[in-house]
Amino acid sequence: MGNTEELIAKLAQDTEAVKPAPHPYVLSLKWMGWAVAYLLLSLMFSGLRPDLMLKLHETWFVAEIAALVCIFVATSLSAALLSFPDMHQMPRLAFAPIITFALFLLVMLLAWQADNPPAPLPIHSFECTISITLFSLLPAAWTFYAMRKFASTHYHWAGSIALLFAFSVGALWLRLHEINDSVMHVVEWHYLPMIAFGIVGWWLGKKILKW
Amino acid sequence: MTDKTDNFEALMKLSLNGDQRAYADLLRETSRFLKPFLAKRLSFTNEVEDLLQEILISIHKARHTYDGNRPYKPWVYAIAKFRLQDYLRAHYSDQLRHAIELSEVEESLSEHVTETAISYESISGEVQKLPEKQATILQLMHQEGYTAKEVAEKMGMNESAVKVAAHRAYKILRNKLER
Repeated sequence: MGNTEELIAKLAQDTEAVKPAPHPYVLSLKWMGWAVAYLLLSLMFSGLRPDLMLKLHETWFVAEIAALVCIFVATSLSAALLSFPDMHQMPRLAFAPIITFALFLLVMLLAWQADNPPAPLPIHSFECTISITLFSLLPAAWTFYAMRKFASTHYHWAGSIALLFAFSVGALWLRLHEINDSVMHVVEWHYLPMIAFGIVGWWLGKKILKW
Repeated sequence: MTDKTDNFEALMKLSLNGDQRAYADLLRETSRFLKPFLAKRLSFTNEVEDLLQEILISIHKARHTYDGNRPYKPWVYAIAKFRLQDYLRAHYSDQLRHAIELSEVEESLSEHVTETAISYESISGEVQKLPEKQATILQLMHQEGYTAKEVAEKMGMNESAVKVAAHRAYKILRNKLER
């Protein structure tokens, strides 16, 4: 490589006015806005579960949805922060999904204990995972596309969080659409695949977000 | 240099507005504080210079992710550390790719150079052209008759490292002599 002073002169010569990226909070709100619009639109077409009003009076169902919403918000914010090289100097907030996942785990554990006698298992199984995955593809694609415009220095984490954000949209959709009361089924076919999503995101992050 | 250089955040704000002079000042000052940071972590001056330039290019590419409202240095160091890790990862994986099996080295070391048709004296000119460490090792082993273990003790290296260095030197010499 040539001289550093020459490079500085060249970079300075090439520079022009640049619009700074929006604040991560704004970015996160924008991504959540798109995701909520997509979720509402999909629910309009696929339909809400007919017993939703009844279910909204059940403590553990409401707690589960609330914990999922927390994951949705935390992963969106974290993905926005991880898009910046310095995480916008808010590293603790970037790792907030860890807390929300712990909370979610606790809620599911308590919901499982409260599910006595256990609700019958539905006839289907892996179809739920496939539905969530297919539903999450679009939000995953646009999140990665949006994140690529920035400069993540934690591309593995960023990839994982981006996919978990997309997956949370899919999981919310299915929970509000499908009539299913079995906690065991929900844990096994709705939420455990999240781990696989996180791993795929870790790998995809390197492929897509490296700059 | 103007007073502006005391304030990286202000310089960056000017740069984002397209001020070329402020941007040049900012990059110059940035390379000034990054150089010692890199020098501490890398062994060779040319490595420091190459990586510094890569970091400056990365700063240029990512400048839209800085808004001038938060401290500048943590943002720069985040990019610098990211590039440094990338560089070290690539460097070490490259070293591993070129690593030599010790058994392979042992085989070639069993044949003494002095017992072959080529004497050390006849190739000493070529030996002197080798990297300093390799040349010294061959000189000690084949001119002065030290064993690899003794050379290792003398040079403050471990025995395997001496054998690997000698093996590499033989390879270079063999290639040169075969030409």
